[in-house]
Amino acid sequence: MNLAFFDQFSSPSLLGIPLILISMTFPALLLPSLSNRWIPDRLATLQLWLINLITKQLMTPLDKKGHKWALILTSLMIFLLLVNLLGLLPYTFTPTTQLSVSLALAFPLWLATLLMGMRNQPSVSLSHLLPEGTPTLLIPALVLIETTSILIRPLALGVRLTANLTAGHLLIQLIATATTALLPTMPGVSLLTLTILLLLTILEVAVAVIQAYVFVLLLSLYLQENT
Amino acid sequence: PLVRRVLHTTRPLHTTQQSLAPVPPLPEKGGEVRHGLIPEEFFQFLYPKTGVTGPYMLGTGLLLYFLSKEIYVVNHETVAAACILSVIIYAIKKFGPRVAAFADKLNEEKLATALAMKNEAIQALQTAIEEEKKEQWRVGGSSYLFDAKRNNIAMLLETNYRERLLTVYNEVKKRLDYQVAMQTLRRQKEQDYMIQWVEKNVVQSITPQQQKESIAKCILDLKALSKSAHAAV
Repeated sequence: MNLAFFDQFSSPSLLGIPLILISMTFPALLLPSLSNRWIPDRLATLQLWLINLITKQLMTPLDKKGHKWALILTSLMIFLLLVNLLGLLPYTFTPTTQLSVSLALAFPLWLATLLMGMRNQPSVSLSHLLPEGTPTLLIPALVLIETTSILIRPLALGVRLTANLTAGHLLIQLIATATTALLPTMPGVSLLTLTILLLLTILEVAVAVIQAYVFVLLLSLYLQENT
Repeated sequence: PLVRRVLHTTRPLHTTQQSLAPVPPLPEKGGEVRHGLIPEEFFQFLYPKTGVTGPYMLGTGLLLYFLSKEIYVVNHETVAAACILSVIIYAIKKFGPRVAAFADKLNEEKLATALAMKNEAIQALQTAIEEEKKEQWRVGGSSYLFDAKRNNIAMLLETNYRERLLTVYNEVKKRLDYQVAMQTLRRQKEQDYMIQWVEKNVVQSITPQQQKESIAKCILDLKALSKSAHAAV
């Protein structure tokens, strides 16, 4: 099967049945199931440690009301981590490269933080539109700018995730194609491109982890502002 | 071993012991795997028919079949696959033991804190037992304590009695001394008065004639004495 460049980004389907749901829920099956032992096996210990670390990091700056979000934020983080890292394997499909998935995650969560803030403490929420200590002349302009920035947040969240991952995957493919094409004619340059590819792969692993983290971190930040 | 992650309603009620503890211990090592992917059981499964090289021949054959029939096409993904797989394998080989040691350390720390708590509790109880034993021994020696206290009190009482006796004696002595002093004073006064009376009478009885005679005699004596004194010098 000769692949075009964008085949890896097309939503997978088998005989007309869309498989995107499976590709989103499959990574969860890879996590070790928790036994009710007090001292579990190594994999379960590591998983527990990771979840504890993530939850602590996310929940420390939030106050009591924000702790209701612990479960969804932690599971979001784990989901994004897993999905991004698994997408680096060959011939796999990363759901987060689809804008629909990213926006579907970002939009409702951002809106939830906004509505929570507006509903419970509207004046405090609105006061975030104007940073402290701005000169009086700039106030109207700054309010407009801050409103725009708030409204743009969900788009930014979703598009950031999608764009980073898509760009990374695409680069890997392009440089791999270059390596393959150069192999018969200039093996030396091919080796050079191979080195670049190796470095890029390491970068992509890092990007996968970081993007997941940034997504969840920004959400928790918006939550902080509005709680 | 049966994995017991089932709902309680499906737990066999009458055929097994109905307790979830003690949990059977985890096996020491995981299942044996060759080349990190293929379980050892697969090799053992093929061993009777094909010997030691069987599975390898199977793998090589499959791979070459896929390649030659172009069921698997070598394209750019192959290169990408080679890269990511080499990165993964390198990471596992390099950091695998460290991660395993870290997980083991986490578990060890959990166990250690629990053990420490248990040992501390045992230690506290031991010290409590020793304290109790000492208290019991102390109670045993309390009769000596009471004797000493009784002696102490008796001594105090005795001292107090003696002191009061002394006070009484002193008071009585003071009164008697007063009487004695009064008597001596009276006798002294009588004596003085008598002497004065005798002197007064004697002075009165010296007549003028006697006075003249005694003065003349004194002058004669003095002259005689002065003569003898002149002579001595």
